[in-house]
Parts: sequence; C-alpha cells; structure tokens
Amino acid sequence: MDIDKAVSGPPDSRAGVSSPGAEGDRSLPAPGGAASPIEFRLDAASGVPTYLQLVQQVEHALRLGYLKPGDQLPKVRDVVSSLAINPNTVLKAYRELDNKGLAAGRPGQGTFVQATLGQVALPELTALRRSLLAWLGTADAAGLDEDGIVALFTSALRDFLERRGGPADRRGAVGDGTEGVA
Amino acid sequence: MTALSTPAQSPAGFHQDTSLRPVPWRKLAWVSWRQYRLSLVGAAVFLGALALYLLIMGLKIRSAYASVTSCRPVDSQACSDVDNLFGSTYFITAEITAALLQAVPVLIGVFAGAPILARELETGTFRFAWTQGAGRIRWTVARLALPAVTVTAVTAAFSQLFGWFYYPFFADGLDSRLAPQFFDLTGVAFAAWTLAAFTIGALTGALIRRVVPAIATSMAVWAGLLLATLLYLRRHYEAPLLDKGYGAPAIGNNPAWVISQSWTGPDGKPVSQSAIIQLIQRAPQGTPKKVGPNTYQVAVNPFQWLFQHGYTEWTRYQPASRFWPFQFIEGGWLLALSLLLMAATIWLIRRRAA
Amino acid sequence: MNVIETSGLSKRYGRTWALRECTLAVPAGHVAALVGPNGAGKTTLMHLSVGLIAPSAGTATVLGGRPAGSPAALDGIAFVAQDTPLYKNLSVASMLRLTRNLNRRFDQGYAQARLGELGIPLDRKAGKLSGGQQAQLALTLALARRPRLLVLDEPLAMLDPLARHDFMAAVMAAVADDGVSVLLSSHVLAELERVADYLVLLSGGRVQVAGEVDDLLTCHRVLTGPTAEADACAGRLSVVHARRGEAQAHLLVRTGGTAGPVPPGWEAHPVSLEELVMAYLREPGAAALPGPARARALPLETGEPTEVTR
Repeated sequence: MDIDKAVSGPPDSRAGVSSPGAEGDRSLPAPGGAASPIEFRLDAASGVPTYLQLVQQVEHALRLGYLKPGDQLPKVRDVVSSLAINPNTVLKAYRELDNKGLAAGRPGQGTFVQATLGQVALPELTALRRSLLAWLGTADAAGLDEDGIVALFTSALRDFLERRGGPADRRGAVGDGTEGVA
Repeated sequence: MTALSTPAQSPAGFHQDTSLRPVPWRKLAWVSWRQYRLSLVGAAVFLGALALYLLIMGLKIRSAYASVTSCRPVDSQACSDVDNLFGSTYFITAEITAALLQAVPVLIGVFAGAPILARELETGTFRFAWTQGAGRIRWTVARLALPAVTVTAVTAAFSQLFGWFYYPFFADGLDSRLAPQFFDLTGVAFAAWTLAAFTIGALTGALIRRVVPAIATSMAVWAGLLLATLLYLRRHYEAPLLDKGYGAPAIGNNPAWVISQSWTGPDGKPVSQSAIIQLIQRAPQGTPKKVGPNTYQVAVNPFQWLFQHGYTEWTRYQPASRFWPFQFIEGGWLLALSLLLMAATIWLIRRRAA
Repeated sequence: MNVIETSGLSKRYGRTWALRECTLAVPAGHVAALVGPNGAGKTTLMHLSVGLIAPSAGTATVLGGRPAGSPAALDGIAFVAQDTPLYKNLSVASMLRLTRNLNRRFDQGYAQARLGELGIPLDRKAGKLSGGQQAQLALTLALARRPRLLVLDEPLAMLDPLARHDFMAAVMAAVADDGVSVLLSSHVLAELERVADYLVLLSGGRVQVAGEVDDLLTCHRVLTGPTAEADACAGRLSVVHARRGEAQAHLLVRTGGTAGPVPPGWEAHPVSLEELVMAYLREPGAAALPGPARARALPLETGEPTEVTR
C-alpha cells in the first residue's frame, strides 16, 4: 500500500489491500533531497484536533518561509514513527492541504508543496497594523481587559467568516502570490 | 527517532495466505527440544552420577562373586562360607541401593513431565504459545511426546545397568527377581514406571496449573499407584501357585517370590495364623534337654507336632519363570495407562478452546 | 472486510457474565481502541477473538469470516497478552527462533534489524530486559509474523512514558508500512486518542459505543446554556449526559450527523473523545452503535447511527 499516493488517490487505497508495485517505491528518497525541511510537533493539551495542528504547522511554515513550493512534506511513515499518531491522521491533514491547493501527492514519491500562501504587501500590512492598534486603544479605554478583547475579536471573526462563506471555501492558494488572503 | 526498518516484502505480497499447510513437525520438535533441554541435562547428570556409582560398586561385587563361583570343591563347607560371606557383605548394599533407586522413575518422570504444561499455565506464556500459527494441539503433542520418548529410552537403557548390577545376587539365589524391591528396576518395568510418572505429571500439570503443587500431587498419585501394584496387583497377574511346606521351589538358581504362607487344618479348611500360634502354645513341650550352659533344646518340635496332627502349611508363590511374563504384563498396562493419560491431557488442552 | 465480527458474543464464568450479547463489526485498516473500566470485559473479548477461550454463546469471526481460533485465524493474527508473556529463560535470539518455528511466516531480517535499532542485545535473556524492552520484543515478534491484525491487551500499562511513546510509534509505523489493522485495549483513554480511529466502549460486559472516531466526534457536541431551559432543550434533542449547575448547564447531545441549529442563547462546543467516553460511562443506559454490520469500502464513509437508547 502506498500511503502517500492516497493523498490524491481514491480513499479506499487504505483498505489494507497491498498493491505490489507501489510498495517498493515508498522508501526511495525524494528526487533532489533526502528529508523534508520541516518537522512536526504535537501539542496534546491544546484541544485542537491533531490533523488540524499538522495543517496549521504547514501553513505556518509556508508563511515563515521554511517551506517553499517544491519542498517535500515529511513522509507519513516518518511523522507517524516520531509522533506516535495514526497514519490516517497524517493522511487527513495532507488531504486537507490538497483541498486547499497547498500540497499535492506524487505517486510513489511523497507529498510536495505546490503553492505558497499569499502575502499581503508590506505597506498594506503596516496600515492594517496601525488601525488595529487604534481599535485596541479604544477597546482598552472602554474598559475591556485582555480576555474580553480576545473574546470579542474571536466572535466577530467567526461571524465574519460565516457570513463570507466559511474558511475552507475561499482560502487562498496562490500560484504567484499576487492576491489572496493570509 | 530515526526511521525504523521496513519489513521485507515476500514475492507475492505479504497478505497472501500460504495455503495453510500445518507447521511442520521438525520445527515444533526444535521448540520442544529447546525448552526441555535443561531438564534433560539435569536428568542426564543425575543418572550419570548414579551410573557411575553402580558401575564402581558393580565391578566390586562382580569380582567378589567371581571368587564365589570359582570356589572348589563346590559343595564343601568352605565354599559355602565364602558364599555366605558374599551375601552378608554385599546384599545389604544391594537392598539399600534398590530401595533408593525406586525413587528414580518418579523423580525423573514427574520433574520432566509436570512442569511442561504447568509452567506455561502458571506464568501465562500459554497466551503466547497458543496464539502462534502452529496452534495448541500440535504444540502440546510436540512438547509432550518428545520428552516422553526420550525419558523412556534413557531409563530403559539405564535399567540394563541395573540388570547387570543385580545379576550376581539373583544368580546366587539371594532373592527372587520378582521380589518387589527388585522387580521394577529391571526388565521393562523401570522405563514403564518412568513413562507413567511422566504422563501423570503432564496431566496433573494441565489440571492444577501450578508447577510445585503439580509435582507434589503427581508424586503422590504415582506413589499410590505403585503401592497398589506392589501390595495387590502384581501378585495376581497370574494365579499364584501353592506349595506344601515352608518355602517355595526355586528354578535352577532363581528363587521364587514368596507371597504368603497359610495353614490348613486336618479337615482341609484354612486355619488362621493366630489359631496356629495358640495351638503351638498349647502343644505339649516335654522336658527340655540341656545341651549347653544356657541352651535347652525343646523336646518336641511344635511344627512336627502340628504336622502329626494333620495341619499343613502352604506357601503361595510366583515362580521365577514368570519374571518376563509379569514384566510384559506390567509394562503393558503401564504403557496403556500412559497413552490414555497423554490423550486425556491433549483433549483437556484442546477443550479450553473448542 | 471486517477484522473482527461478533454476533451475540457472550462469555460466562460460573454465574458471572464477563461479556454479554456483544455484537461488533470492526472494519479493517483501522486502529481500533477497546476501552472501558477495569472488569468491563476487554480482555475477555480479546481472548475470544484470538481463540484462547471459547464463547458461552454467540460467535466470533475474524479476518473476514474465519472462525476465531481456527488455523487460518491464528495464522493472520498476532496477539500480545497483558504483561507481555515471554519465556524469561530464553535469550532474545532464542525467542526469535522459537517464534519462527511456531509460525509459517516469519521475517527474521526485519526482526533482527528492529531489535538492533532498539538496542536490544540478541544474547540477553528475555527476563533480564527492562519492561520497555520486553514490550518492544513482544511487539517485534508479533510484527515479524506479518499479521493482518495485531491485538494488544493493555500494552502500555507497565511502561514508563518514554517506553509508551516508543511502543506506540512502532505500532503506528507498522500500520503505515503494512496496513496492518490494530485492536488495542486500555483503561486509560488519553493515551489512545492520538492513535485510535475506531472506538469500542465496553461497560459491564456490554458494548456501549462502537464506531469511527471521526463519526462519533462529528455526531456529538456539548451545548452550554441556562439550566432553566435545559429540560426544554433536552426534550427536543438526544441528550446523552447532562451536567447542571445552578444557573448553567452542559448537555452532551447526539446530533445524528447533521449539526442543526444551536438553540438561541446556547453555545455549542466540539467534544473530545475522553469527554464523550466519560459521558457514556456515566450513563449506562445510553448507547451509540452503528447500523447493521457491513463491510466498508470507503473508510471515511459516515455511517448513520441508530437512535440513542435511554
């Protein structure tokens, strides 16, 4: 059974039936590189589902530049043997990244980063930050403490996303980074 | 953690069912051998030490006996004295040795047989062994059959050594080969009793599931069986013969095995031993004759008096010629019992699943 | 294919029923967690599946219809019992050879390589290894048999945290490499949450919950709201377990797949596996069982659960 092939292949390849051809390829190193640039870690107490943590770590790595298009994501087997989690969880995470267009599996080779998360241009970022600080000043003057601010922001964000149509639909996977949502 | 090894791929893919042929016996034989080789070594050391003793002692006895047989003239008092000397010097040793050797079959058999299943059940390793591909029946058969055969063969060989050791005593007519203390050390009985101890141990181990209680219980059961055989069973393999008078006729130099003595009265009916004693006490004694400073001779021999009055003494015995038939009878039923116990053990093990 | 399928499986010891009317269909390709309090019947169920004991009633088949305990079943299942029984006096190499001689299939190279990586010397007696090493040895022997199903009875109970991690990592790696299905039991749920994708909850000898973990978590949530409205709410929803304070109440509800609207004034939270299990354990009358047993083609197919029994 080729685990990494299943990211873009039919889900029932996991059903325990061996396909002789693919098995031998799975342990071959990716072309041009032996290991993935990133390593996953798990925060067991965070309450966030495991697969989501993996997705978030990939996105975070993309943002920070640890991962670039063409880089290989850690092999399912390596993730599983270092974190002691179910392989299906890793598969689910990689499937989610595939849905978002961020990564794709190459049969017999692994899962590779396809795109990067769009960056907002620096001047825009600075302007956003300034307006946010102003708002924070207003909230603080009104008497909200830190937790109150966080709660207000979180619920407003949730409402906004719901109205806009949900996070999964519109998440930006960009080819060249000219437009998109961070 | 570094990447771990990947299991090798069998040519057709590892999920293929290898047509479920049973796991071959020679593989199971290795398993059996590996797990009982320690007790085999223990038994070998034990028997080896015994063998050494018997060898050394036996050679000494043989050379002493040689001087008896080479004594001339054969019927003289001098040669008779040599013969008596031989007997009084060595026969005690022979009897003590024989008494101690009675314990060998039960020690070897039970210590070999009882722990096999008992230890697996006690330590829980049966949960490993019975979930392997070979299955529990094959496993049980291999683990019991191999030591059983080995132990029987080794003790059969060993009892030949006994035969060699005791030959001078039987040849000298000191005791019968059928006598209880010697019978089950020679011929096939020794091996048969060992096998019985083994199978009793195996079944007890499977039932009790603890090693030490199984050993103790098996020894007790075996001892009970031996006692029943000695006291009752063996003397009745064939109907005992009756001989008039005291003592039983020997065959050549082979004495018979005297089982009991009894008396009958003038009317032919049996008279109890206590009645005989009373008669003797009431018999007229006459005047004792003084024959020495403190020795008197009874005027009337009480037994002569009894004979004159129609009382007959009878001896029940088994003639020496019945040695081998008895050996085969005893060996036969012990073998049958052993096979039965083995089958019961295997059935018991199987039943815990089915 | 279902790796374990039972129908009305029951086991009685004397007067006590260790397992009662247990009907399960654990699909292949999963890591199934068997959880429940001590004495719930987990070990009994496992022993019945691997053929160590015979049922008092009902049937158990494994690996797609093979009778439990049959040669075909024994061939495809590797079992590691509680306290990892090993022959203490045998060396590690002898244990390898012994296992090889008791099975039709044994990957000697894999076993030796694994033990080498773990730093377990081949000439040491098995009884002299540490607890973690013994567990790893038992696991190696089991995996080297190339089974389709690995059954582990409380494998982590005697291990320290590092040994626990290494053990589970090894099991998960085997799942990733070979697609072997796993059934493991524990009475500590927290350590199973990361690895299990199928859950069977046994309580008092009966199956209370059985299903894919994803489905179970999707189908349940906690509604938090005013206690005064709690009863009204409970009337309309399937409430598994309720915790009421003076003013605030938490209801663990079963939503049957579709989320449905949150009642006004109430908040909905996702539920963790541990919370879910605890709630069902507190409500012996409640159950969450899937529909009739069937072979699953798509592992993530959402099965429609039957109604909650109160």
